Amino acid sequence: MPDRPLLKICYVEDDDDIQRVARLSLERVGKMEVSIIGDPTIALDAILAFKPDLVLLDWMMPVMDGPTLFKRMRETEGLRDMPVVFLTAKASQRELDELRGMGAAGVLSKPFSPKDLPEQLRAIWRALP
Amino acid sequence: MTSGSAAPVDLASTRDASARTEDVSGRADPQRVLADRVEQLYGQMPLGMAAHLLIGGIATYELWDERTRDLVLFWWGLVLLVTAARAVLYFGYRASASKLVEAEQWMRWLAISALASGVTWGFAGAVFFPSHTDEQQVFLAFLLAGVASAGIPAYAASWPMFAMYAGVIVLPFTYVLANFGNRLFTEIAVLVPIFYLINVGIAYRLNRVFLSGYRLRHAYDRLTEDHTRLNKQLEQQIEDLQEARQEVEASGRKLALFAERAPISVIEMDANSTILEMNPAAEHMLGYSALELIGRSALSTLFPADEATLTPEWWAQFVARRLPANRVRARCLRRDDLEIEVEFTITPLVNEAGDLVSIIAQCQDITQQLEAERLKKEFTSTLSHELRTPLTSIIGSLQLVNSGVVGDASGEISELATVAERNAQRLLDLINDLLDIDKIESGKFTLVPESVRLADLVQESLILNKSFADRYRVGLEVRGDVPDVRLHVDRKRLMQVMTNLLSNAAKFSPEGSAIEVNTRCADAMVRVEISDRGPGIPDDFRSRIFTRFAQADSTTTRHKGGTGLGLAICKRLIELMNGRIGFDNRPGGGTTFHFELPVLVDAVST
Repeated sequence: MPDRPLLKICYVEDDDDIQRVARLSLERVGKMEVSIIGDPTIALDAILAFKPDLVLLDWMMPVMDGPTLFKRMRETEGLRDMPVVFLTAKASQRELDELRGMGAAGVLSKPFSPKDLPEQLRAIWRALP
Repeated sequence: MTSGSAAPVDLASTRDASARTEDVSGRADPQRVLADRVEQLYGQMPLGMAAHLLIGGIATYELWDERTRDLVLFWWGLVLLVTAARAVLYFGYRASASKLVEAEQWMRWLAISALASGVTWGFAGAVFFPSHTDEQQVFLAFLLAGVASAGIPAYAASWPMFAMYAGVIVLPFTYVLANFGNRLFTEIAVLVPIFYLINVGIAYRLNRVFLSGYRLRHAYDRLTEDHTRLNKQLEQQIEDLQEARQEVEASGRKLALFAERAPISVIEMDANSTILEMNPAAEHMLGYSALELIGRSALSTLFPADEATLTPEWWAQFVARRLPANRVRARCLRRDDLEIEVEFTITPLVNEAGDLVSIIAQCQDITQQLEAERLKKEFTSTLSHELRTPLTSIIGSLQLVNSGVVGDASGEISELATVAERNAQRLLDLINDLLDIDKIESGKFTLVPESVRLADLVQESLILNKSFADRYRVGLEVRGDVPDVRLHVDRKRLMQVMTNLLSNAAKFSPEGSAIEVNTRCADAMVRVEISDRGPGIPDDFRSRIFTRFAQADSTTTRHKGGTGLGLAICKRLIELMNGRIGFDNRPGGGTTFHFELPVLVDAVST
């Protein structure tokens, strides 16, 4: 368990509406500092600049999907050990297992509940080594 | 030379013939032969009795005089009595139903009657001979000789009977003659027993002729019987054979028709995969005519060079093992070089001697089926993603509004937003249920089983469903102790079943009532019961309650929500976990839904 509370979150998501809901949820309900990135191709630099505690990734995105971005992060100095949580509308057990197998800290499914999302993320945060 | 060699042959054949006769007579039933003899003997009785009376009458008349009147009368009475007794015996025999079975007994009675009849004549000889005149003595001697010798044909079927009959006639007379004191009579007394013995000898020979005649007759009867039976058997066998042949021909025609008209391709090959025959469906599937392919190797003609499954090695192994191969998928090359995916069922035909006769391949072009499956999978996956993405924003936004995070909404706005959220949630449930049922029914559903404590499961399900039950103002209660057992189940999926049953119960329970959860263990199965005080399940709905989109009536959907898929999913999930699900009317009103699951045996009470 990390010795500090979960405060800064980066969310990579291409859908504008979901971005807005997630921002409200994390800022208003979770009282967290949030940076939303709509274009996954510039995500690596944006994350490096924002220095979040945890990155929230969508799976299905145009040009570059979540798992690919996740692999890039693992190859990038400074992002290698950053905890990543997937937020996905894919529901099959096989796909979820695949994500966990890649080393994701957690997988949450869409639709998510904005009331509960911050608490779910904190639970994952607390379970980190 | 010729005659010398012919002689032994003749001898042998004669011996054979006599042996055959012997063999044939030996087959006669002794009991039947005896019965025939008895029948023959009784057949002589009427004539015997008539002769007895007639001769007795003449003798009485001839011997009648004042001196011996009483004695002659007594004798005449004796003759009448014996004849009457014999008549009774004769009619008794004629009326009898047990002539065959009791032949021996009838023979014995007849012997007694013969003895009695003989005694009357013996008596006449012994008593009247000394007391009468010379002429009458001649008459008596003539009479005795006559009745004694008449016994030979009468008792021809049993020589001992004749010996007895004639014996009692002749012996007293001989005695009288021997003691008469007259030389002539003494000489006759010596001659009479000799005549007697000669007569017995003749009777004996006659008896044997009769016996062999009867035996032959019976043996012949039996042979005829055997012959008739054999003939019948033969006829039956020929008939059976005929029928069998017709059946084989019919089934052959049927089989040919099956192959000819079947929509499935059928190809017959030999052990080298040389094509022997194929049906029209196979011609259609492969684009070749049968004439083009018969005689060619299926392996080298029908499959592309890089085919990985149905290779010559696979074929060699199949031929060696001679076991049917099911659902073998391989790519095939049509005549127009188009590649198709084909599913094969290949069966070796092995005869009783264990030789491979031929190989039958039934095959189906599944190219389009596979494409359809791929499309469906893609569609399902896309549907799942594309429907959930907008729902994420809708439900998220409404939840934020309703939870007051973005400021308090006024009465009616808040009310409408709640309606919108509830229905968006329903839409999501429907999508999830549809995806579930699709996965289960396409067989692609995999459970993630783990060891779970029953008590934990029940507790968790109550906590999860409490807020839903509160909405309907219904209580949730666990009755009694939950057995301390563990189950090997998919926790998430079993929770889905519990949630389904509990929320159904809540929806239909009257306000203020409580839903009861009962658990118990029996025969390595745990049973969980969820009981409500609702209106019960309508009779016409009971049989289809576990089918898809089943709801008691369409108004229910409007009032209570739900997709009509919940129970169908529950049933399939429970069955996937090797359990059973069902429901009963609850005494006192309401319904009890119950499911049973196997207890994890290794970890009881840990």
